[in-house]
Amino acid sequence: MPAPVRGPIPARAGIGLRSQHHEGILELASPPAWLEVHTENYFHAGGPAVRALERARSRYPLSLHGVGLGLGSADPIDRGHLERVRDAVQRFEPGLVSEHACWGHVDGEHFNDLLPLPYTEEAVEHLAARVRQVQDFLGRQILIENLSAYVNFASSQLSEGEFLAAVVERSGCGLLLDVNNAYVNASNLGLDLDTFFAALPRHAIQEIHLAGHSRRWVGTRELLIDDHGSAVCDDVWVWYDDALRRFGPVPTLIEWDNDVPPLATLLAEAARADQRLERCHAAAA
Amino acid sequence: MRRRPDSAPDLKALQTAFGRSVRTATANTADLHLLAGSDDATVFGQRLEVYRNNAWQFFLTALERTYPVTQRRVGADFFRQLARDYRVQHPSQHGDLHWIGEAFPAWLADRMQGTGYEWLADLARLEWACETSVAAARRDPVGVESLGRFDADRLPQLALVLQPSLRLVASPFPIWSVWQANQHEDAAAPVDLVAGAEHCAVACIADRVAVYRLDAADHRVLQHLHAGMSLGDATEAAASDAETLGRLLGRLLGWAFGAGLVVQVVKASPA
Repeated sequence: MPAPVRGPIPARAGIGLRSQHHEGILELASPPAWLEVHTENYFHAGGPAVRALERARSRYPLSLHGVGLGLGSADPIDRGHLERVRDAVQRFEPGLVSEHACWGHVDGEHFNDLLPLPYTEEAVEHLAARVRQVQDFLGRQILIENLSAYVNFASSQLSEGEFLAAVVERSGCGLLLDVNNAYVNASNLGLDLDTFFAALPRHAIQEIHLAGHSRRWVGTRELLIDDHGSAVCDDVWVWYDDALRRFGPVPTLIEWDNDVPPLATLLAEAARADQRLERCHAAAA
Repeated sequence: MRRRPDSAPDLKALQTAFGRSVRTATANTADLHLLAGSDDATVFGQRLEVYRNNAWQFFLTALERTYPVTQRRVGADFFRQLARDYRVQHPSQHGDLHWIGEAFPAWLADRMQGTGYEWLADLARLEWACETSVAAARRDPVGVESLGRFDADRLPQLALVLQPSLRLVASPFPIWSVWQANQHEDAAAPVDLVAGAEHCAVACIADRVAVYRLDAADHRVLQHLHAGMSLGDATEAAASDAETLGRLLGRLLGWAFGAGLVVQVVKASPA
């Protein structure tokens, strides 16, 4: 494998690398600043995806983003899965490693989805312990991402922001702030975004995700569905501006996983984020 | 920080109730009460549909990606029904979607027993072989000239190290023909399903899966070689007719080297 680009992820816009763009990403005159991939897609020894990432890795800083570990599951962590995450980290030497503030399996069944946790003291303690376990195993800090959700648990005692801040404090992890997820939660669950952002520890935020969502009627209400299948909406761009004012310039990913568009469309979205990041850099200078 | 009220479920109980509610078509009242409390149970129950749908779609999509030819042969609607039934007995056991289809061929063999569709299970076995072949490590192949490093009279004592992606599948049904005829969405050429056995080798070469049809004797020899047998022993063990080392060298080995399946020639370990 050619030598990877090492060092931190730059505070500029990156895009998710999907199979449709394995070749195109190597031929760009104006490439994105960095790439992110789903860790689980690179668990195997070989195959076209692994070889494509090996090639891309020699040109781009990389972030590994896990979707299957289910950190908050009450049942024991899947040791085999964790070992494969470690193998991928050692193989690709990413600048950032992230997971989600979620659970995913119970009683032997995996739902292969990012399932919500109740915002309780018990869940804070449990998730923080799991994050410490993973960080100890990997020998590095990880980021955890705030989740999009469609239900509120009756047992929740904390706000989402308080919950994440407590996990950060007790585990030493960083945060990946998904602005679209927060926006979806504001619409679906009544999350107050101003209060949410205010509760997050500024120093912990090391990456931002921007994505699109769709709308679906569920029961008597239209919900926003976090499906990563369209452009970032105007309101999310507004809240992204707000996040940059609060947290400063942070590496920002355009996350588009379904109905993946041409590379030019992804790069245009990344350029919109880069314009804002440049203004933020200038303001901070 | 506030303490959990005594009446609140612990994390495990909550996740068990949530999982049960997502697994079944309708959540039971007790679980909804535990998850949502009495006021919001109706709304909570409605919204669980989002998670139920996600879990099902992720499962179905993973199975469809692994078994496109099987799906093409039985049609999307019947494949969906098969996937639903399969999921009841084999829910996902991994956080990695790759493994969802692992037990599908064996499950399909049970399901199709005595129906006249037994061949579907073997077709699925071939597709699972393709799935695992793609994920296997790739090593640089060596050419047939690598045999030349050894004296000709030592040939029977040599063994071949084959690509880690090599998979061998045999069936009493013409599964290679079915697989080959159903590579595209458009109408497949008809296949005579009583045409007899077919033997296949699957390998991922230069990032592409290749599926070869072998004759039964070559398939047996390749199985033995794959297991580490020497050329001489593999030939002898597989011979059901006038199989000879000369024939092996002339045809099977020429093909195996030419296809990039051989990654090393070594002296065989003593049995």
